[in-house]
Amino acid sequence: MPIIEVEHLMKDFMIAKRETGFLGAVKSLVKREHIKKEAVKDISFSIKEGEMVGYIGPNGAGKSTTIKMLTGILVPSSGSVKVNGIIPYENRQENAKNIGVVFGQRTQLWWDLPTIESFELLKEIYQVSDKRFKENMDTFTEILGLDEFLNTPVRQLSLGQRMRADIAASLLHDPQILFLDEPTIGLDVVAKEKMRTFIKEINNERKITVILTTHDMEDIEKLCERMILIDHGQKVYDGEIAVVKERFGKTRTLIVDLEESPHNLQLKGGEAFKEEASRFWIRFNRDEVSASELIAQITQTHNIKDLTVEEPAIESIISRIYQEGYQDLPEIVKV
Amino acid sequence: MFRFRLYWTFTKKAFLRSAVYRFDVWSRLGSNLIFLLMWGSIWTALYAGREEAGGVSFESMLTYIVVSQFLSGVNGAGTPLWEIQEKVRTGDISLELMRPFDVPLRYLFADFGSVAFYILTALLPLYTVMFIFMDLTLPSAWETWILFIVSAFIGFLIRYCIEMAFGLLSFFLVETGGIVDVFYFAMSLLSGSVIPLWFFPGWLEKMALYLPFQGIYYIPNAIFIGKISGTEILLSLGVQLFWAAASYLLLRFVWNHASQKIVVQGG
Ligand SMILES: Nc1ncnc2c1ncn2[C@@H]1O[C@H](COP(=O)(O)OP(=O)(O)OP(=O)(O)O)[C@@H](O)[C@H]1O
Ligand SMILES: [Mg+2]
Repeated sequence: MPIIEVEHLMKDFMIAKRETGFLGAVKSLVKREHIKKEAVKDISFSIKEGEMVGYIGPNGAGKSTTIKMLTGILVPSSGSVKVNGIIPYENRQENAKNIGVVFGQRTQLWWDLPTIESFELLKEIYQVSDKRFKENMDTFTEILGLDEFLNTPVRQLSLGQRMRADIAASLLHDPQILFLDEPTIGLDVVAKEKMRTFIKEINNERKITVILTTHDMEDIEKLCERMILIDHGQKVYDGEIAVVKERFGKTRTLIVDLEESPHNLQLKGGEAFKEEASRFWIRFNRDEVSASELIAQITQTHNIKDLTVEEPAIESIISRIYQEGYQDLPEIVKV
Repeated sequence: MFRFRLYWTFTKKAFLRSAVYRFDVWSRLGSNLIFLLMWGSIWTALYAGREEAGGVSFESMLTYIVVSQFLSGVNGAGTPLWEIQEKVRTGDISLELMRPFDVPLRYLFADFGSVAFYILTALLPLYTVMFIFMDLTLPSAWETWILFIVSAFIGFLIRYCIEMAFGLLSFFLVETGGIVDVFYFAMSLLSGSVIPLWFFPGWLEKMALYLPFQGIYYIPNAIFIGKISGTEILLSLGVQLFWAAASYLLLRFVWNHASQKIVVQGG
């Protein structure tokens, strides 16, 4: 039984059209014209208990809109959503007890209150027992280092501290499902790493189901086995990250520094797609030609000073997919 | 099931939060005093040395103004309307929609906390001193004190519901400035906060008596200075309760529509 089921989910927003000029202003007083914006169109997926899924896509793809519908604060235009057997928007408060949510862009803590008091409020709101509250606080404090700012009002926290406080807050009531909308946005490298370790740990140890949106592919690479890729409100890929990597990972880049700078470099099986002074970037498919064959070709005419072969990170794979389209994606799951 | 403990936590937290913003308390108390002085002098000038006007002694009139300023301090100490409108504008309110509590009730209980803090630390000391050193009429019967407190509390609820309901209009109208101004004007005039209803021209007094605003200032004040007594008081409390229920329904109605709108249109 999947814990999250989404079928043919759609969300349209009506956006009031802005008329320009005086006449336009008068006209819009009488009647406002609206444009329909399809933020999510026909998305389906299901997620099993304990899974950790990366929900990714370019800006404006419809990720946050989907998450909002899963939390119940947005009503779908059509289609169905079920989270732990509950229809979120019909039963928002019941749903709230099962889920934890972090919106990286905004805090859910009370601005004016010292962080610890926000936690105490949440304890009452979700009726967490004293014992459980203490256990959770101890665990979170240890991993996230909350003690350094527990008595600071939320509005004085740094972004990284605030994010740590927010994720701890979202887990105080032991939800089964955690929605993370850009939980690492704006964090420095070390803070990101800590956040990832924490997410991984609660997924492993508490078997919490996690849906994670992010623009940092390293998050996905380190945390998720499965990713759902969406664009323009539609699902373009749903499956293992390893499969995408395998498919696109065949491309390698050979970077060579030459002693002289030739005008161009013609190679069989490789394509020089970038050059800077005497450095060349050569793209090749590992199945068609090997790096040593390419190097041999180059040394026939030039002297190589230095070289490296790069494997594509998921980061560059995804950015290529965003730019070049989705035709080549393996087995797009159509539900 | 009403989860009193949960809402009470909001009261406690708001009480503590007020303690952090002590400067706020002083500046609010300052402007409260200035208005008190202003209205006090205006009414002193209007009485022009007469012992009584409209069947009300000068002493009672002065008491009316003092009590009125006290109530206005109480009613102004809650969450400012703009704060809620700001949450609506930024979409932050949708995060509160997700919580297992009722949003209007949660703000009401938080207001109890900040108001209690303001009363205890500022209003009560100041007004006690004032009652000791000025020639003002104090109710002699303890029942009157209780009826006054009950009436003032119901008035507070009426004001909260109506103000919140109007504040939420920003959900539906792009430009609420004008409406809100009219509302505040109506509230300050028709509630009898600065001019007691008995000085109104007949038609205006009638109108005011048919509206909910009198329940906020006029009725508790009339009880305090002894303008009404006996069954009249009970009748007035009945009227207040009716308006409290009606304005609660109004708030519920507006809130349901507003929250429905947020979840459809997105914060
Ligand atoms: N309340 C709203 N009213 C109108 N349009 C909206 C609203 N919320 C989102 N949209 C539009 O819907 C589309 C999807 O937005 P959404 O926030 O879901 O994108 P996203 O995938 O989260 O993007 P990002 O990576 O930038 O956060 C965008 O074009 C956005 O402009
Ligand atoms: Mg987003």
